[in-house]
Amino acid sequence: MIIFIALAIASGLLVGLSRQLNGRLALSTNAWESSFWNHIVGLGFVSLIALIGGGLFTGAPLDAPWWAYLGGPIGVLFIAAGSWAINRIGAAQTAMLIIAGQMISGVLIDFAMGIPGAAWARILGVALILAGIWVTRQSKSG
Amino acid sequence: MWAMSSPPAPRFIHYLGAFAAGGLISLMLLTNGTLAQYGTLLFSSWVPHLTGTVLAIAILLALKPARVTPERPPLWAYLGGVSGGLTVIATSAAMNSALVLSGTIALGLAGQIVFSLFADARGLFGLPQRMPGWRDFAGLTLISAGALVLIFFGAAP
Repeated sequence: MIIFIALAIASGLLVGLSRQLNGRLALSTNAWESSFWNHIVGLGFVSLIALIGGGLFTGAPLDAPWWAYLGGPIGVLFIAAGSWAINRIGAAQTAMLIIAGQMISGVLIDFAMGIPGAAWARILGVALILAGIWVTRQSKSG
Repeated sequence: MWAMSSPPAPRFIHYLGAFAAGGLISLMLLTNGTLAQYGTLLFSSWVPHLTGTVLAIAILLALKPARVTPERPPLWAYLGGVSGGLTVIATSAAMNSALVLSGTIALGLAGQIVFSLFADARGLFGLPQRMPGWRDFAGLTLISAGALVLIFFGAAP
């Protein structure tokens, strides 16, 4: 069990590491180029894993709805935005705002798709997150 | 020299941009998660990397964005994609354990927050150093609490 807990925490550390490295690359190049390198290097790495492990095309991936293939273009924008923000507001505030945006948009998507959930938890969760953004923002207004 | 110049002052647009980027993650979870239901998890990471590379090339050709500095970035700065690829593997291994998705996300957020605080305090990998203040910790505590409520109680399993 401890190994899976370590892996889950490591996944978060790796997300932070990736954003830090892409941010550093954008510091010498620009956010779009940083996003390009992130994708092409990542493509090479995942392809390598697939070559070693195999099974890349197992299942029926072509049966997936067309919009499921749009994650790549969204990711290009996401990496560029992260590389741009981290050099301006720092790693911690970038991370907390991305988390806040992910959580609140997740609630909106769940709501729009009619996924059942506890209303009290959704309201409390969003309220806590908005309060967190508000507290942080207070320090930055000059 | 680039390393000496101070970062631009934070503005509302930077916060809004980071917040909006969080919304993009939700969309990616939807697209890539759906893809993983039909194909393998590796496939659901491989496809967006491939289509993303194609779009990124198109953007670079169309916008021709100038490099900020003629100085070459260090080679290790190009490895963000490897770290991203490893994330997929670590996440998939963890979420197939007793942690399931909610526990994996919660621990992942914790890892991300700890890393970002440490990275800021040290100016890790040549990024601007900034000491996190009490407002950063207060904000992180509130956002983490809200995230935990949403992850564990927000949606019916």
